[in-house]
Amino acid sequence: MIEIKHKAYLFDATRCIDCRACMVACSVENSIPMDKTRIWVAGVGVKGEFPNLDRATMVYHCMHCEHPDCMSACPVGAYHKRDDGPVIYNPDVCIGCRYCMNACPFGVPHFDYDKGIIAGAFIDKCTFCPQRVDNGLEPACVATCPTDALEYGEREDMIKAAHARIAAHPERYIDHVYGEFENGGTSYLILSHVPFSELGLPAIPEKPVNEVSEKVMEMTIPFAIGWGAVLTAITAGVAIYDKKKESQKPAELDEKVEAPK
Amino acid sequence: MKLNLTVHPRFRIGILPMILLALMGIAFVIAMIRYTYGIGPITDLSNSYPWGFWISFDLFTGVAISSGGFLMAGTVYILRIKEFQPLLRPSVLTAFLGYIMVAVALLVDLGHPERIWYMMIHMNGTSVLLEIGICVMSYLTVLAIEFAPVVFEGIKWQKFAHLIHKFIMPFVILGVVLSTLHQSSLGSLLLIQPTKLHPLWWTPFLPIMFFTSAITIGLGMIILESSLSSRYFQRGLEVHLLEKLAKVIPIVLAVYAFLKFGELAWAGELGYLFTSGVMSVLFWAEILIGVVTPFILFSIKKVRQSANGLLTGAVILLLGMILNRFNVSWFAVKHPDPLFYLPSFMSNVHYFPTLPEVLVSVGIFSAGIMAFGLVAKYLPVFENEEHSHETVVTPTPAIGD
Repeated sequence: MIEIKHKAYLFDATRCIDCRACMVACSVENSIPMDKTRIWVAGVGVKGEFPNLDRATMVYHCMHCEHPDCMSACPVGAYHKRDDGPVIYNPDVCIGCRYCMNACPFGVPHFDYDKGIIAGAFIDKCTFCPQRVDNGLEPACVATCPTDALEYGEREDMIKAAHARIAAHPERYIDHVYGEFENGGTSYLILSHVPFSELGLPAIPEKPVNEVSEKVMEMTIPFAIGWGAVLTAITAGVAIYDKKKESQKPAELDEKVEAPK
Repeated sequence: MKLNLTVHPRFRIGILPMILLALMGIAFVIAMIRYTYGIGPITDLSNSYPWGFWISFDLFTGVAISSGGFLMAGTVYILRIKEFQPLLRPSVLTAFLGYIMVAVALLVDLGHPERIWYMMIHMNGTSVLLEIGICVMSYLTVLAIEFAPVVFEGIKWQKFAHLIHKFIMPFVILGVVLSTLHQSSLGSLLLIQPTKLHPLWWTPFLPIMFFTSAITIGLGMIILESSLSSRYFQRGLEVHLLEKLAKVIPIVLAVYAFLKFGELAWAGELGYLFTSGVMSVLFWAEILIGVVTPFILFSIKKVRQSANGLLTGAVILLLGMILNRFNVSWFAVKHPDPLFYLPSFMSNVHYFPTLPEVLVSVGIFSAGIMAFGLVAKYLPVFENEEHSHETVVTPTPAIGD
């Protein structure tokens, strides 16, 4: 497989202080109301018993998968994976079927349930801030993060940095970079000191989720042509058989009186 | 030409049409509210549950119960088993109305119903939903063509009816191909959710499971629809024909059960049959109601030969198979666990359909029943045995040779 050179985020849960400045930055940058934020801080809350309390939080937004399931599922191709990483959504063709929301194993895309057809109900999700990235800036959430919990750079470099950090502090981290292989790799990499499930991340196989579905779809047209040919052949066969039987019928009736063939 | 305007001098609206009309009215009002204020206010759908009752009932169930149309068209036109002729038109009508109901329901469920035709100009080849959309749209056209002769006969345009009969074979074949594709693709819709759908149901063979069960559902629907309409219109019931259909059901059910359990064994997932709590119960309920009971019932000759036995068997079969569609598209789909910190718009992980949601589906279903009644009343859907000579297709050399 060819290694694609592109950008990725790296998130380090040990550094996140749950200040939610990233949520504010995202709302301001993308003019999104706070109650419909594209980015949210998730976690299971405070764990343990006093005085041994523990708490972990994670910044949750689109994983920008290498094999995006939203893109695979969308009937009208409203999603597009850019070569440099971002998975972007085009509201101009969206029909609002919400299949992308079903397909996404991370539950990222969300929908305007409170808008009628005149106001226009669309899907929304993190865009990787292409308007900033294309101008040499970091995405808004990364730029604003006060503790460097969110970082941004070449995906390869980010993976190397993540593994270096684990190697430097094996006692602090779980030895796994979430997103390096999950769902065929994502452009959002996560380091954590608590099990990833406690950050709200699902257990996803390394094979892309859309693999089986895409394979079945590839068989559709050949199958349709083959099945159509088989049916045509059956139709023709039955028609010929029927005709033969019908032409034999009167003959048989006549011969019955005399002698069988 | 003189029009006879006093065909039905004793025309009156019965109690059933009144109820149906009222339900349709309610659904219409709710749909208008939905178009004005959005899907959220009238449903329990959320970002965690993007698909709910509408998809399970209107799309999954609606398409499945419409499969009788292609089965009968294939039997009568392709296999030329002409004794099933009397069942053809009602089945095609059921399918035609069923698919219209699916389309209408999707127009309520879609965020941008006015853009549904975008599927024809912006195609994404990897999307299962695109395939279903295209197939359903095309098949609706095919069904319209297959049903057109009935309309032409009804308005006494025999020439057009004969013309369509002459060229019907390519459309019948296309209809069977399209039906095979989208009946199975409804199962493929869930292929992209291996992490969300319970392993008792998720398998790469979902499309084959769906197609096999769709055949039993179609046969069950033909029996149900014939039984009910014979009671409502007080006409004779073709028990001798339905018996033959009922005979096929146990065979298909056996294949289906073999596929289902065979796949679980092949994937090493037999353990889930007893260890998955509610999911195991749902699975067994679906198997017992939809497969085992109808298998036993339709294997008994006495049941197959009685009108009540046929109706009972068909209802049980349909209930079980519809439970299967609900399981696959709703009950067995696991959505993300609620986390402590989540914005309010992401945190609704419990879904239960609201009354307006159900009433929309009920209203659309009522419209379907009403339309079936009206069409059956005014058009020659149920043919008399006497004039069936004009309905049998003439041999089709265009295809045959």
